[in-house]
Amino acid sequence: MTATPPRLQRKPIRDALIVAGLLLGGSVLISALSPRYLSHDLAQRLFGIMVGTFVVVNANAVPKALTPLANMRGDPAAEQSMRRFVGWCMTLGGAGYVLSWIFAPIEIADTLAPVILFAAVLLVLTRIARCRLRPVRA
Amino acid sequence: MSNVFKAIADPTRRKVLQLLQQRPMTAGDLADHFDVSKPTMSAHFAVLMNAGLIDAEKQGRTITYRLRMSVLEEALLGFAQTFGISMTAEPSDPTPTSTSDNS
Repeated sequence: MTATPPRLQRKPIRDALIVAGLLLGGSVLISALSPRYLSHDLAQRLFGIMVGTFVVVNANAVPKALTPLANMRGDPAAEQSMRRFVGWCMTLGGAGYVLSWIFAPIEIADTLAPVILFAAVLLVLTRIARCRLRPVRA
Repeated sequence: MSNVFKAIADPTRRKVLQLLQQRPMTAGDLADHFDVSKPTMSAHFAVLMNAGLIDAEKQGRTITYRLRMSVLEEALLGFAQTFGISMTAEPSDPTPTSTSDNS
């Protein structure tokens, strides 16, 4: 209803930089500890868990990020439905990715985790493509 | 998080969230689904807004409510709906803070 102050407009950028820093820092830390303090397998699992958690946290927040109705070009109901679908797909995909790296044997997790995440991304892309191909009703 | 539990503990507010899962709705459209006074509905909306589960946007003289739930919050709502769990011991009827009409 009122214009967003510049400080709040910059918040998403600041948050994204913090998350990027955490991901890079975590990767560097895991690399530094491996193989002396962490086995190669454990380092691989930790990295997978870190990436999967990042996906889950971000996907969880997707339905909360609303576009102002005044700026919306399409149907608000369809937009909301799409956001919820993307949020659920990617959260479940990310959770599957994390769980694979935690519980599956390393040689299976190596294949299974990316397959689960890729399947979630594929579902999202299919839904987006279907939306774009659907004729707009007058 | 306790605000979220408080918000979804009430069946009327759960029904509001359920309706908003279908599409954004105006305060009047939502109120038509319930046999309660408009101040009571406004109080329910205020609780949901306070918990960050819905968003209100004013367009002219109408207020449009939209769902603003994360995946985890929706999962909690689904859990509460499935098992009919009342997560707080508080009475379900909120006390209206104002008698203003939102529609």
